[in-house]
Amino acid sequence: MDRETNRPKKLGFRPSKAPNPSPSSSSPVRLRPREEAKRDSTSSIHERRNPVLDEDEETGSPIFSYLVGTCPDMCPAKERQQRERLRDLSVFERLHGDPSRTSPKLAVKKFCRTMSNAELQEVEIRPLPVLRSTLKYLMNLVDTSDQPFEVVHDFVFDRTRSIRQDLTRQNILDDEAICMYEEMVKFHIESHKKLAMCYTKTDLASLCYLNTEQLMKCLATLFKLYDIHRRSSSLHKNEAEFYSFYVLLHLGGKIPQMGSSLSLWYRKLTLSILQSNEMRFSMTLIRYSRLGNFKRFFTRLEAEASDLQLCLVEPFLSEIRARAISYVNHSGYKLQPYPLKHLSDVLRIKESELEELCHVCGLETTMDEAGMKTLPVKQTSFSLPKLGLPVHSLSTF
Amino acid sequence: MAYLSMGEAHRRITDYLSRFCDAVSSQDAATLSALLAISSNFASLQAPADALNVFQDSNQLVNQVERYAQFAEILSPLLRCLQSYRLGRYSDAYVAFEKAANAFLQEFRNWETAWAMEAVYILALEIRLLAEKADRELSSSGKNTEKLQGAGSFLMKIFGALAGKGPKRVGALYVACQLFKVYFKLGTVHLCRSVIRSIETARLFDLDEFPVKDKVTYMYYTGRLEVYNENFTVADQKLTYALMHCSPNKEANKRMILKYLIPVKLSIGILPKQWLLEKYNLMEYNEVVKALKTGDLRLLRQALREHEDRFLRSGVYLVLEKLELQVYQRLMKKIYVLQKQKDPSKAHQLKIETAVKALNWLGMDMDMDEAECIMAILIFKNLTKGYISHKNKVVVLSKQDPFPKLNGKPVSS
Repeated sequence: MDRETNRPKKLGFRPSKAPNPSPSSSSPVRLRPREEAKRDSTSSIHERRNPVLDEDEETGSPIFSYLVGTCPDMCPAKERQQRERLRDLSVFERLHGDPSRTSPKLAVKKFCRTMSNAELQEVEIRPLPVLRSTLKYLMNLVDTSDQPFEVVHDFVFDRTRSIRQDLTRQNILDDEAICMYEEMVKFHIESHKKLAMCYTKTDLASLCYLNTEQLMKCLATLFKLYDIHRRSSSLHKNEAEFYSFYVLLHLGGKIPQMGSSLSLWYRKLTLSILQSNEMRFSMTLIRYSRLGNFKRFFTRLEAEASDLQLCLVEPFLSEIRARAISYVNHSGYKLQPYPLKHLSDVLRIKESELEELCHVCGLETTMDEAGMKTLPVKQTSFSLPKLGLPVHSLSTF
Repeated sequence: MAYLSMGEAHRRITDYLSRFCDAVSSQDAATLSALLAISSNFASLQAPADALNVFQDSNQLVNQVERYAQFAEILSPLLRCLQSYRLGRYSDAYVAFEKAANAFLQEFRNWETAWAMEAVYILALEIRLLAEKADRELSSSGKNTEKLQGAGSFLMKIFGALAGKGPKRVGALYVACQLFKVYFKLGTVHLCRSVIRSIETARLFDLDEFPVKDKVTYMYYTGRLEVYNENFTVADQKLTYALMHCSPNKEANKRMILKYLIPVKLSIGILPKQWLLEKYNLMEYNEVVKALKTGDLRLLRQALREHEDRFLRSGVYLVLEKLELQVYQRLMKKIYVLQKQKDPSKAHQLKIETAVKALNWLGMDMDMDEAECIMAILIFKNLTKGYISHKNKVVVLSKQDPFPKLNGKPVSS
């Protein structure tokens, strides 16, 4: 009598280590397909039978069936009318600036926490092509709007969350979904840098935190999508880079911890990802940062970081540089102030910016007889300011 | 399978049911446990399982006899489980077992004493083992694997039934350990936190009242968590406890503990002897230890590369990477000692150029800036006492103990 079921061997699939696409919260949200959904997507049909994508803890009550959306606009008509009545329209959605009038071309569906699928109608969910064009519209807004960045960010942050909600409700798991999630991760990474630039505003600290939290949520879902993709083909072309983002986030001291340490996260990764250049790069940067080898850290960063990787890392550089300054301050010879020019070369920062950073950290700088700026060492006043540090980009030489 | 008559099948099933009821009425936990140990594949379970495939209507059998009927909620699904397991249908077996287990837990709650604790242990163990088998089956046919998660939820239920005042508390640690195993397997390790909180801080339990072997398992898992969070002092305490109290004949368990204890000890400057690594087959740490002894950075990096996959899987990779600083310290100390032999009066002045030469000789690509950087961090972390004259490109070492030993304390953060 057969005990074991036949186990087909799949290329690139590591059965005992395949990450379980289940949520970390205690009540699992289960999606069971009602019927084969008709969709425009060109990707393979078999993925609909795949382990379920189960993202937002925020969706609240358990979802018991897939929906297939039919909403033709960026925002369902019912919501448009309701928000016009309540005058709940973002500045981007107002027709000719009127807070009580919008249009199908301007209104974008808001993220809504409480809906269970039982209450939703299909006409309120946007199908894939509409979601695609909505995302394109929002990304374009980021590039072209002349509103202050925090305002644009806030709007796009919310509206992209709603897009992800619609994707989850329809259980869209294919290449299209991957593309869209990658776009949204990009948005959050670029926001991460732009928001950090305005470090002096007090509420921006929480904005940055929320943005990073959302970035990590997107990445978590994206990784599940990649897993599903990997069962039928090899690594997705951007997969290694996006995994490296998760690692690089750990360069920041104050990121929201998504439950487990980096050590535990590495355990679940497949060999092909771990051996990729992007992962090697990011893991090495982490090593240099943890060991305090700031010389190698900056040369390696300059040599190998992609644009997005740099964008992600730049807001963390000040803290790393501040630490380097404290090492120099601590270990130097008290009769020989340290030349700022040299330090600024090593730390890949402009000399004037380095001077600013020293001052922000409570350290004085002086000038020597030759007129060169120096840092007197063994100062006892070093401290990392509470409000955060100014962001200086990587200066290449 | 030999031909089984209907009569014989009927007899086997009623035999199983009777043994169950007898065990309950005479409070015989050992027999009861054996009847619940589905995945053990005892011959005594195979017999009724085979019978169930011949005698199809076991439900009726359970309900017709009053003795059995009072436990129908347990027995009917339990029989289904036996049958499914025998047929290799693990997902079905799990679902049936969960039903039976839930019903059993209800009964257990009503029993005043903890006589059936051993059976509860079996329940806790089996739910996990069956769930793991079920998920493997589901995953290989491309379906959603959720049984282990369900097992975790059920284990929490058992945990809840045991937490509180009364003699049943003694089983709580065992169940906690089953939960740890589930969470580690699922990768949802952060869920261990709430279990640990219940055990340690909620003041419901006194760790001394638990059996030693449960404490060993508990310390092993919580010790591992401390390793991942790099709290080396606490990790050392917990894992050492586990090692010391582990049964002398459980070599495999000792090896598992040592796998995590060794990196912890290395991080606080304590090196294992070679025979220990050999005895417990942990030779992957051999070169790491050598590198620390000789200050050979190249060897450390090589060892990390060679066993990278293994270290990443067990989660100690980042801990081992950090040992680099101690290796640098060792190397600098060696240079210092050599200098002292040549010319004691100048020994405390370590030219940065010398460090660069030494590292280059070891095959490491290093320049003056990087060497200075490393020296700065060594001084900052108190692995070296002295200061750096950047202008003169020299490290001036303290005349007293310039390379302090860690002595059981981790490198300062």
